[in-house]
Amino acid sequence: MIKGLNEDQTAALQELANIGMGQAGNSLARIWKEFVHLSIPRIAMVDASRLPDLILGFVGDTAVSASRQAFHGGFRGEVLVVVTAKDRNGLAQLMGFEGQLDAAEREEVLLDIVNILGGACVGGIAQQVSAEIGFSAPSLIGEDLDPLDVINPEQLAIDTALSLEVCFQVENRSLTAHLVILLPNNEVGALADLLDQFLCTL
Amino acid sequence: MNDQHNTLLADFIVERLELGVFAVDAQFNIVLWNRFMHTHSGKSAQSLKGSNLFTTFPELPESWLKRKIESVFELGNYAFTSWEQRAYLFRFKHNRPITGGVEAMLQNCTFLPLKDEKGKVEFVVITLQDCTDNALIQQRLAEAITISDEERRKQQELIVKLEDAKNQLFQSEKLASIGQLAAGVAHEINNPIGFVNSNLGTLERNVTDLMKLMAVFESKEAELPEAAQQELRKIKKDIDFEYVKEDLADLINESKEGLGHVRRIVADLKDFSRVDQSGWQIADLEKCIDTTLNVVSNEIRYKATVVKEYGHPPLVECIPGQINQVLMNLVVNASQAFPERGQITLRTGEEGMYVWIEVQDDGVGIPPENLQRIFEPFFTTKPVGTGTGLGLSVCYNIVRKHEGELTVRSEVGKGSCFRILLPIFHGKMGESEELEAALSVPQ
Repeated sequence: MIKGLNEDQTAALQELANIGMGQAGNSLARIWKEFVHLSIPRIAMVDASRLPDLILGFVGDTAVSASRQAFHGGFRGEVLVVVTAKDRNGLAQLMGFEGQLDAAEREEVLLDIVNILGGACVGGIAQQVSAEIGFSAPSLIGEDLDPLDVINPEQLAIDTALSLEVCFQVENRSLTAHLVILLPNNEVGALADLLDQFLCTL
Repeated sequence: MNDQHNTLLADFIVERLELGVFAVDAQFNIVLWNRFMHTHSGKSAQSLKGSNLFTTFPELPESWLKRKIESVFELGNYAFTSWEQRAYLFRFKHNRPITGGVEAMLQNCTFLPLKDEKGKVEFVVITLQDCTDNALIQQRLAEAITISDEERRKQQELIVKLEDAKNQLFQSEKLASIGQLAAGVAHEINNPIGFVNSNLGTLERNVTDLMKLMAVFESKEAELPEAAQQELRKIKKDIDFEYVKEDLADLINESKEGLGHVRRIVADLKDFSRVDQSGWQIADLEKCIDTTLNVVSNEIRYKATVVKEYGHPPLVECIPGQINQVLMNLVVNASQAFPERGQITLRTGEEGMYVWIEVQDDGVGIPPENLQRIFEPFFTTKPVGTGTGLGLSVCYNIVRKHEGELTVRSEVGKGSCFRILLPIFHGKMGESEELEAALSVPQ
């Protein structure tokens, strides 16, 4: 059970996330014309200090690039996308980039990925609970980082966050990207209300 | 306000806002094109309505932009581009025809989904914001930060150099004090050595005399009564008289040699530090070399064989203490040029009004890129902490102060040769007669 959510809400959130990711996968497949597989989302309440380990946990000990984007509306939070250098060029092709990428294009790929993946996943969940969600412009965290350096817990504005992590795989291209949706714990209440409304409609 | 007013207001905002606004349908046909877009593209809304975005503007990055717009249709979410990564979507003239600074208008774009009542995206509206001014400020800031970072880095380097210089000064002060102390001690030792030396001479004469007496005495020994002879034989055997006789001479000789060694060391120390005479003097450079070699002999003994090829040049007007310092630096440096053991050759000679000294080694040599810099202060190839990089620059300055030249030629793998060229005459000693007299002394 997630702290701040009761048993029903926790179960509903997991179910909604599953359906939301399924829809996200469908949308991405239509955009990219490739089959996209999404892992079952893992939802947990995480201490800020544990976030670096969380990222290391799903990418392993390899250099990564990362970008972030904020969303707001029915609930607020940030999306974080982490990709390895190995996957970046393939993802660029998926998004319509052509030829050898220069430094600025490499950055733009990362901004486009977080926008698309974040939009698909957060949008997928928001749609289930009939929430309007808007997005701010994405920004770059960095390239060729140690996974432990993607998030510096000391610079975070929160102590704990609700994390929802998903792994994307584009099957024919064996490409992988990792996405984490983070909700500050004071937004969990807003989410709980939305979940209650959803449960009432059942 | 009624609906008609609202429409008028919306039209006004879209048309007159200083923001590019246009919209496309799912087939990328243009359905909206505002005044800003008209002004900057030179194409009017009327002429563009219904025409395909990519046919009308073939210069657009089609593959990427199609994907981007498609994703907005599919996901119903905003998408963005930023001038920092993509300078512009449309190549428009910038708003600085006079002050310039950029090649085209820098743009931030936002892609907005326009949905019907059912939430399906009907059109994608794209806004273009001119960011040229902000971007220029940001670029200037970034440049300023780079410059200030660079300056900070240089300051850090200077601080390290200052620290090095301080250490070097401290070191030379310490050396100077040690030199003075050594010279003082040498002076003090000179007195006792003098009388020990004189006593040793007397002792040697006395022992010889005593031995003469003993010889005569021994030749008369047989004439003594038997009891006395027996007693003498016993004493001689007890003290091992034969050995004592031989050893006495050796002991005295060895002591004289040892004492001679001490006197040479004391004399070299005094010579080298020149505490008593630190100004311009007439000096024999070959003697300077010998003195220096004696002082550094411990340093180089296990690293190099020293070969002297003296050409007996005339005496030179110089500050011998400083020339000794130059020679010491060059010889010690040369001894560090060998991977194992090598040869240092010291040559002297005369060239017109100049005298030269060469210090040559057959060591590793100096790469050409370093050769230009070796006389620069703080340039060192030694590991951090071992060399201050000041030795050769001090040498260079001393030779320059003597109005001479310090040059080097070197070949990697073959060795290096440093050449000191010193004018014979400076006129710094004042009394020219004295100088001439000194210079006319035959070699």
